[in-house]
Amino acid sequence: MDVIITISLLAILVLYLGLFKAAKALLPVTLVGLLVALGLTFNHWDLANNTKSIFSGMLLFNNFSVAFSALAIISTFLILMLSKDYFERISANVAEYYTIILFALTGIIIIASYHNLSMLFIGIEIMSVSLYILTGIKKRDYASNEAALKYFLMGAFSTGFLLFGITLLYGASGSFDLTEIRNYVASSEEISPIFYAGILLSIIGLCFKAGAAPFHFWTPDVYEGAPTLITAFMSTVVKTAVFAAFLRLFYISLSSVTLQEFWVPVLVVLASLSLLIGNITAVYQQHFKRMLAYSSISHVGYLLFALIALSSASDSAVFLYAAAYTIASIIAFAALMVVQKQVGNDSFDNFNGLGRKNPLLALTLTISMLSLAGIPLTAGFIGKFMMFTGALSTYHTALTVFAVLNAIVGVFYYLRVVVAMYFKDAERNELAVPVYFKIVLVVSTLATIIIGVYPGFIADLI
Amino acid sequence: MNLFYFIAFLSIFFSLLVIFSKNPVYSVLYLIVTFFTLTIHYILLNAQFLAIVNFIVYMGAIMVLFLFVLMLLNLNEDSEPMKSNLIKVAGVVAGMCLLVTLVGSFRALGDSDPLILKNPEIGLVKNLGKVLFDEFLLPFEISSILLLSAMVGAVLLAKKDPKKI
Amino acid sequence: MELAFVIEKFALVIVIFMISLGVAAYSTLAERKIAAFLQGRVGPHRAGWGGMFQPLADGAKMFFKEEIIPTQSNQFLFIAGPSLALLTALIGSAVIPWGQSLTFGDTVVQLQVADINVGILYIFGVVSLGVYGIMIGGWASNNKFSLMGAIRAASQNISYEIAMGLSIIALLMVTQSLSLKEIAAQQSGFINWNVWAQPLGFLIFIICAFAECNRTPFDLPESENELVGGYHTEYSGMKLGGFLFAEYINMFISSAVMATLYFGGYNFPFMNDLGLPQNIITLIGVLFLFAKIFFFIFFFMWVRWTVPRFRYDQLMNLGWKVLIPLGIANIVLTGIWIIVKDTYFK
Repeated sequence: MDVIITISLLAILVLYLGLFKAAKALLPVTLVGLLVALGLTFNHWDLANNTKSIFSGMLLFNNFSVAFSALAIISTFLILMLSKDYFERISANVAEYYTIILFALTGIIIIASYHNLSMLFIGIEIMSVSLYILTGIKKRDYASNEAALKYFLMGAFSTGFLLFGITLLYGASGSFDLTEIRNYVASSEEISPIFYAGILLSIIGLCFKAGAAPFHFWTPDVYEGAPTLITAFMSTVVKTAVFAAFLRLFYISLSSVTLQEFWVPVLVVLASLSLLIGNITAVYQQHFKRMLAYSSISHVGYLLFALIALSSASDSAVFLYAAAYTIASIIAFAALMVVQKQVGNDSFDNFNGLGRKNPLLALTLTISMLSLAGIPLTAGFIGKFMMFTGALSTYHTALTVFAVLNAIVGVFYYLRVVVAMYFKDAERNELAVPVYFKIVLVVSTLATIIIGVYPGFIADLI
Repeated sequence: MNLFYFIAFLSIFFSLLVIFSKNPVYSVLYLIVTFFTLTIHYILLNAQFLAIVNFIVYMGAIMVLFLFVLMLLNLNEDSEPMKSNLIKVAGVVAGMCLLVTLVGSFRALGDSDPLILKNPEIGLVKNLGKVLFDEFLLPFEISSILLLSAMVGAVLLAKKDPKKI
Repeated sequence: MELAFVIEKFALVIVIFMISLGVAAYSTLAERKIAAFLQGRVGPHRAGWGGMFQPLADGAKMFFKEEIIPTQSNQFLFIAGPSLALLTALIGSAVIPWGQSLTFGDTVVQLQVADINVGILYIFGVVSLGVYGIMIGGWASNNKFSLMGAIRAASQNISYEIAMGLSIIALLMVTQSLSLKEIAAQQSGFINWNVWAQPLGFLIFIICAFAECNRTPFDLPESENELVGGYHTEYSGMKLGGFLFAEYINMFISSAVMATLYFGGYNFPFMNDLGLPQNIITLIGVLFLFAKIFFFIFFFMWVRWTVPRFRYDQLMNLGWKVLIPLGIANIVLTGIWIIVKDTYFK
């Protein structure tokens, strides 16, 4: 709870700083505030892992929440470090952007720690409303406007589905509380049919938010139209948070065997569709940002594996995969922002010859691509490995084979940019990489490799 | 019970009119009538406070804004673009899937054992307030963040930039 | 439902309906007389003694005027507009307690059509619906001046509803009840009137009431020197009469609401010390309520002929930047006051 309070107060503080024209102080204050929030988050770490829910069962800030909140805060921290001088180029109201990002982070922490479906709904709404706004902050850019409107309409629609699902779950079980719902499932001889409809609708709502196929069609346009920094935020922090919410609902409430028989096939279909559509369409993209958007759909597919093979190991699997994906994506987006700012275009040709002129940038981007593709010795490999072992342990062999094939397709398009950087020559000047970017790039790359070489230190956390 | 079926019929009838009328202003007016029938549903459920809030917020404020925007844009039948047939078919298929899911589950539910409320007075203002400020205090307070972020965003998007870019 | 109950309520509804129409009709005369008084003229004085029959003459004129429906307009909505305006103006009277109960032998007649326990919110809801008549009528006319009037009415109503709601919240904190009957009963005598506890709230409420009734200085929807006739530019005959009537009925109902919420309703000073039978007290109470209502109607007119109309941006500034912050401050002050009172003056 103190984390939520800290971050929302920080948001209001930043708003006031903007009011008093303290433009220089905005970024440092935000970063320091995030560090404080991170410290408070770790403070909730409970070795015995028997945290009690608070506020009459509304929140349960256990180790799972600590891990995902920390991941969200750290990635927000890294993304915000890229924001120096970024918002200033868009408009004069910089403080409001930081405020809204912080509000979105508040929502994310709520959905990483909810223990009551009403909190899930409010958390998702806080996050989504902030994102609708952030998508549209380039007021004079039609692509940004279109993306914001599309995202808003689709998002509102999907929230409707989620809400409908929650209502039906409530109607059947008589409670919003996750434990109560589990007790209902365990105690009733025959589960009410509307409970199943509720599960379906909740899956649809959450898949919309996570961007799983076939509910992905807003993703490419929105990711491309939104300012790149916001895209980075959306495709990493937000996706992770939605998966945390997903996992929490299914693991605590809906994990009984009879229910699994019902929803596992649905998720298998969704996962394979996401893999197929995400990977195949990503191959045909000529622009780096759009490629990342489509590939994010395929990553949702891999993440869904953890739900399909639901067990007590699922949370660490999702956490590891999400961490690997988030860190690698942040590198990719940081590189993209550098290229976009100085070349103005993000098609693959603009990466030609980067390997010779900007060795650091090229190296980090290469490692990030390798991690996203799932090559050994990077974090992405460990993530995929855990997902696949989970799926195999529950005898989803066909699905795993299909996923491995897709991963091979993934290698192809991820390496395109690497090939462009190292093996295609072009006359170009060295790109200036600001210090903040360098820090983010190096830190993230180190994290990717450390997790890849020695995964145990975060895999066994939860 | 008969009254319920009559009002439910009206709700569905008017909500269908919302979809099928060509003129957006008519759609909004039908939507207002639909909300009115929903208000009556709330009253039938003895949820007086929700009924009146639905009345004030949806009929009295949100729909006025809707109508306001439509009138400013002055949309009418001619300006509505025709959707392609593919989209129409896809929409019908998706809608029917939802309908089948819901109707199927509700039919299987049966109405032999109607749910009895533990506290029939729960919809009155006093009881609702007690639940809201006791059990659901945290969601209630947290929604202030939702409202605040929406408000900051609305101002941000609507305000004119002083600097031309 | 018993037949006697239905008949009783039906009779009450008819009486209130007739009174509302009668008051509205004579308000038109009063308006002209007061305008004349404030401007040093005589006003209407030909029809009957002092113009007594002028409203009847006006009504007859309205009925016999040609009904014009513009060809390019939307026929159904064009007629629905004034009807809705009249409807929403009239249904507000259902929850107002016009007096205490009358006792005839065994039967007790309540002088209130419906005592629902969310009475204030009902009034608030009806007020918020009031704008539909204007909006629909203005849009259906297919005239840009009408449309402009309709749009102004919508934004004005939405803006002032918020401040009105805030002032009502502060009032509810004092009364602890949403039922108008209970609120009226609490204000027995003179010292208990809510206006003494909520002076700022009353000020906000009355300003918002002016805006919601579209009365000067907030009559921008029909400001005749900018918009011809505003939302009713295209209207004539009895449909125009409907709009005008709705305005006066709104004035009557909102005066009644203000009297009930803040000025004790049917209560009057020393009502419990006179030693009269209950029925007599009730009747005197009704008279007092109407006296208060007439005072407020007079106040409405007095302001209309004294204060010039606001400019549009002034109107919005007043609503959003003055009244809403004041309303919030009022809620906070009321909360503090309640705590202080409960702790120190028990």
